Amino acid sequence: MRAWRDMDEFEGFLDAGGVVEPNDEMPEPYRQAVFRFIELHANSEYMGGLTERDWIPKAPGLHRKLTALAKTQDEIGHAHLLYMVAADLGIKTREEMMVDLLEGRTHFHNVFHYRVHSWTDQIAVAYLVDAAALASQQAVFKNCSYGPYKRILRRVIAEEGFHMRNGEEMMLLMAHGSNTQHEMMQESIDRWWLPAVQLFGPDSRPNDELLRWHVKSERNEDLRDRYVQKFVPQLLACGFTIPDPGLEKDQTDGKWKISPIDWEPLKQTMRNGGPDSARRISDARNAWNNAAWVRDALTNQPAST
Amino acid sequence: MKTYEVFLKREGKDPFTHAGSFDAPDEEMALIYARETYGRRGEGEQMWVVPRTAVLSANEKELAMADRDHKHNDGLRVAELRRISTGEES
Ligand SMILES: [Fe+2]
Ligand SMILES: [Fe+2]
Repeated sequence: MRAWRDMDEFEGFLDAGGVVEPNDEMPEPYRQAVFRFIELHANSEYMGGLTERDWIPKAPGLHRKLTALAKTQDEIGHAHLLYMVAADLGIKTREEMMVDLLEGRTHFHNVFHYRVHSWTDQIAVAYLVDAAALASQQAVFKNCSYGPYKRILRRVIAEEGFHMRNGEEMMLLMAHGSNTQHEMMQESIDRWWLPAVQLFGPDSRPNDELLRWHVKSERNEDLRDRYVQKFVPQLLACGFTIPDPGLEKDQTDGKWKISPIDWEPLKQTMRNGGPDSARRISDARNAWNNAAWVRDALTNQPAST
Repeated sequence: MKTYEVFLKREGKDPFTHAGSFDAPDEEMALIYARETYGRRGEGEQMWVVPRTAVLSANEKELAMADRDHKHNDGLRVAELRRISTGEES
């Protein structure tokens, strides 16, 4: 167990590449900030996992059902791992985090506040959203000062790669499939492009404490820009259009420039007031309540006969 | 519920390494959860599941103090003496 005299000494430790462990006497603001960040991540994985589950029976064919099943287990597993890491910070128990989420007192990422309308929406989520989530997780993994989070992200990232490759495979099949398939995929890209780009959040504040404390190692705008530079050409190459009339290639540096982003939709999701927020939260609450008997059966000793 | 720590060992000469933790109500469920949470894609050939309360943590200061200069040899003095003994020194 280590302790630091004050915030200056602690920040010096972090700047020198120091890694914080749960039994260290870390400054309270750091503990709180790391906790909130991991809790948000865990909640998002959980809500994402529940949507994934909805598509297991609707996925076309056995192979897609099995991969949807595997992905569901991964996402719920990510939530599980992250809730464990968050609980060890000693601020809330796993159950308290779950109840706060289901009561709408805490938050989850914007992309899980929208309705998934079709199978191609599900593909767009895997291809565009999992990729965006993966990019931001990689930026945390790279240099995260909180040891348990960094270590568990290694596993999460490996599995996100699997989701993203599945997504790309299915997207390519649709891109080069029938006209109807291509059109359906285009509709889904139109629905999911902006939420995926907004997932990175508004430009990082100059004094973002998560950056200063080396939890995140890249600014939101840099991650977003890298995402745009990678995905715009990929989508165009597949014969799709990007739902952004202001999108253009800068003639001087050859980089893709997107239109200014309206952050109001993101703000609404952060108040749990997105288009599908209420339904998603009540669906999660139902799942939790319906599984109460399983938790009871696990925690209670078997009745003596 | 009890918290467990999971250690995995890959095939071959790698040592066991810590994979993470989880909660389970009993040992039977602990083994199932451990496998489903940390070992469902061939991450390990062997797995240890240990109740967290059974893990004794060494005192970090004492651990650091156990490491002393006289237990290492950085080879600089060896290199210097080799130079002298082969008459490289002018
Ligand atoms: Fe995930
Ligand atoms: Fe994923």
